[in-house]
Parts: sequence; structure tokens; C-alpha cells
Amino acid sequence: MQFVHTIAAAAATNSTWAPQTLAQRAADSAPHSLWLTAGYFLLAVVGVAALLSFLGMALIYIERKIAAHFQCRLGPTRVGPFGLFQTLADTLKLVFKEDFVPPKADRSLHMLAPFLALLVPVVLLALIPYSPNVQVADLNIGILFITAIGGFGVMGILIAGWSSNNKWSMIGAMRAGAQIISYELSATLALLVVVLFSGTMSLTGIVLSQQDGWWIWRGHAAGFVAFLIYVVASTAELNRTPFDIPEGESELTAGFHTEYSGLRFAFFFLAEFINMFTVSALTATLFLGGWMPFHVGDWAGFNAAMDTIPPGIWFLTKTSMVIFVIMWFRWTFPRLRVDQLMHLEWKVLLPLGFANLFVAAVVVLTELYPYPLAK
Amino acid sequence: MIADAVYTVMFYGFSAAVVILALAAVNMRQLLRAALALMGMLALSAALYIMLRAEFLAGVQILVYVGGIVVLIVFAIMLTRSSELLEDRPRTLTRWYGGVSSILFMLVACGALCTTPFPVQSDAQPAGDEVRKIGLALLEQGSAGYLLPFELISLLLLVAVIGGTVIARKTRPRNQPFTTGGDLRGEAIVQAARGQGDVTPGDRHS
Repeated sequence: MQFVHTIAAAAATNSTWAPQTLAQRAADSAPHSLWLTAGYFLLAVVGVAALLSFLGMALIYIERKIAAHFQCRLGPTRVGPFGLFQTLADTLKLVFKEDFVPPKADRSLHMLAPFLALLVPVVLLALIPYSPNVQVADLNIGILFITAIGGFGVMGILIAGWSSNNKWSMIGAMRAGAQIISYELSATLALLVVVLFSGTMSLTGIVLSQQDGWWIWRGHAAGFVAFLIYVVASTAELNRTPFDIPEGESELTAGFHTEYSGLRFAFFFLAEFINMFTVSALTATLFLGGWMPFHVGDWAGFNAAMDTIPPGIWFLTKTSMVIFVIMWFRWTFPRLRVDQLMHLEWKVLLPLGFANLFVAAVVVLTELYPYPLAK
Repeated sequence: MIADAVYTVMFYGFSAAVVILALAAVNMRQLLRAALALMGMLALSAALYIMLRAEFLAGVQILVYVGGIVVLIVFAIMLTRSSELLEDRPRTLTRWYGGVSSILFMLVACGALCTTPFPVQSDAQPAGDEVRKIGLALLEQGSAGYLLPFELISLLLLVAVIGGTVIARKTRPRNQPFTTGGDLRGEAIVQAARGQGDVTPGDRHS
């Protein structure tokens, strides 16, 4: 068990960073001033809410612009400069639309489902380390909690499909459920590789463990394969193209949210985009060093230059790159059939994930890192 | 002072919600709603674990029970017609039996709770690195370790996975001793029923 301790000790002593979460600040301030504690609590709530609405607006606009340029169009240009207010206008339209519940639907469950769907990304937003000092809470079971909450996310979709009392919704929900539950296995196996490498489940701990090299290349091929598996599996968990059979328009109208309109439809839409952000942010945090600047071995000058860029910018850049790649997928790959989808998971990704975890364990046990920790 | 008060209020709030949701899970006559109440109850008991600083247990509770078992129950309800069926009203005699036995069980449980001493460590601090300790304990071979149960559980899971696959497979395999015939038997029943005109083809997928 020596290797675990060396890594943890190296992360603790080597670190020039002193990350502090909002929860930590609130706990520290509790003995002196309860108002300050309440202030931190309020700041966390308001911050997550503001981030949620900003991300919703921004990501939808970016998706439309990127999609348009992939197709040699311009995308939204009319509302505001460069069409920046297009999402705002669309949201206003959705707010004023009728909130229709089908007469034969299970009314209360139909109302509840969008909130269940939005609950998961909101909780995840609070756990992501955006920068050393910007994180709401850092759990010591971070990765476990993310996996657990991710499994919870499928409930909103299942309930939405069932309560609509519509065959298309129902089939879409069942497809989504089967898909999310299947691909969760591969995503978790890929996460386990990072937990194995860093010896911790806390997200900030994982970021700190990447000071001498991001896991995507410090873990030999195992880190890179885990990265690929995680990106593919989480794109499938997002129900985005090429894995969007739960809402395949040509077969199912709109899948599980066929019977939703107005603000409740907007909630599903928002949940999907926020999920895309959280998946990209987690990919950046686990494999690409999170807010850690890019360092190369002992090039002191280069490393110092990289350190001048604030960690928040690093996080944002890495996350945006992953988001762009996920949006790129949509205009590159055709939609998979159900059998291809299941084949990919159970016969390709899952055995690969197990083999990869084994290789990663060998790498960690023999300490054969290409970039050893600077001791 | 105020922190303690907040803690107490939170504890009673969560406890009350857990009790109410547990009662709802038992009493709801619609199976899907009962499953949802069960989900809420399990998730809130995870909150109680977090208040006791057993974060790992809370995470596993949500992962296994909420994300796994309740989702499985919901799947089972959706894939069968049980969603339309309401629970039968039990006979009066059955209700009496049920009532008497549950009251007796409650008395036994309360007696056991009252007579067992629970040593309370008022200054119990969480070790901090409990996840690592649990992991090491699971792989320890000595008297303090749980290696054998851990390996036995994995064997049990393997048996369950293979058993599930055997039961669910549609084609009858040749030269394989262990098979239930899978869906074929169910198809035969449906075919027979269709022949008698009891079940129309569209009726099964509602």
C-alpha cells in the first residue's frame, strides 16, 4: 500500500495550491459569526442558480452557432448582436406557452418528472472544482457520489415517459433507461482508473494529484483509453447524438418528452445541456488536470509562464474543448440502432474497460509512470 | 449552540420525512407511486447517514438502493402490466393476522431497543480516511478482515448474472443442460390465449 501514501504525501507537500471550498469557509466561520455562515450558504445557492441559468442560455446559443457553421449556415443572427438574445427570446416564448398535461396522464408524476431530471445536474454543479477557491463542497467520496447521483438521473426520464401515458414516451423512456444503465458501467470503470491512479475519490484531491502531469498521459495508455471510454460512455449517458435513440424523431416523435410543453419541456432541455457541461467539466477535472496549469517536466520558464494564466481560465478552456468535441460528434456520426448501441457497450466497451482497469492496476503497482512524481 | 439546534431540527425533519415516505410506500395503492415513495425514503435515509458522518455508507446507499434497486423495480413495473393493477383488498381475517403480527413485532423491536445499551461516544471523530480503511479491511485476510465474504459475494453476483441471462434468453440452446426455455414458454402461453381470443395482439402493450 506504499504507493498510495507516496502519492498522497506528494500531493500534500508538493502543492503550492491551497484549495478552499465554500462549505469549508462556512464551517470555519460558524464559531465566529453565524451571519457569515449564512452568507456563504446563500452565496453557494445563488451562485449555482446563476451558473445554471447562464450555462443554459450560453450552451444553447453555442450549440446552435456551432451546428450552423458545421452546415455552412450562420445560425441565429437577428435577435440582438450576433443573435445573442435568441435563447432569451426562446425561453420567454416557452414561459408563456401553455403548460399542457394530457387528460389521461398521471398528473402529479407528470409535473414531478422535470424537477427530478433537473435535480441531478444541479447537485453536480455544486461539486465541480472550478478553481482552487471556487467550489461549493468537496466530498471525500466525490467520485462515488457522482456515480450514485448519475444513476439517480434516469428516474426523471423514466417517470416522464411512464406518466405521459403515451406509447412513444414510454418506448423513449425505456430506451433511455436501458441505455443510461448500460453505459454507466463503462463510465464507472473509466472513473475507477483515475481513482486508482490518484489514490483519492475527492475531486480536488484528483486535481492536485495531477500537478506533475495530467492522467490522460501520466497513466500510459491506460489513462488515454479510460479517457476515450469515459467520453463515449458519458455521451451515451447524455442521450446525445449518435446515441439519441431515446428521442429519435423519425421513430418516436420526441421520445420521453413528447407530451411536455412550455416550461416543463424547457426543464428537460436545460437538464440535458447542464448535463453536457457537467460531463465535460468532469472529463476535464479527471483526465485533463482540472484547473491545474499545463506543465512540462522541468522546463521552469515554460511552467512559470503557464502559471500566470489563472486556474479558472484553464478549467474553462479545457471544459469548452470537451464541450466542442461533444457537439462535433453530433454532426459527424449517424445515429446508432438499438442493437448496435447494446453491442458497443456490452461487447466492446465493457470488456475493454475491465482490461484497462487491470492494466492501470499493474501500472500503479509497479509505479511505472512515464513522468514520475518530483520528490 | 445554534448549530446544534439546526442539527436537531434537521434530524427530526429528515426522520419525520423518512417515516412518512415509508408509510406511503407501504400504503400507496399504485405500485409506481409506492416505488417512488420508497426511492424518497431511501434517499433521505442517506441524508441521515451523512448527518452521522458516514458518507461512504450514504454514497453506497444511493448508488445501490436508489440508483440500482428502485430503478429495477420501476423497470419491472413499467415492463409488466402491474402498473395498471391495483393491489387487492385483503380479506378481513388476513388483515387481523397482519395487524396482530406487526404489533407483536413492534413490541419485540421496542423491547430489544430499550434493553440494549448503546454506548454513545460524544466526542466520536470520523477517522477521515474511512474509504481507504474500508477498502483495506475488505482485502485483509486476518481476523479483522473480510476477504472471504467479499469474494463469496462476487461469486454470488456471478451466479445471479448467469442465472438471469439463462432465464432471459429467447432461444433454446442446444446441448445445454441448464435452461428454463426463457421466453418460449411465455410465447406459448400468449399463443394459446390468442387462439382462444382472450388476448388481442395490441392489448399486451399498453
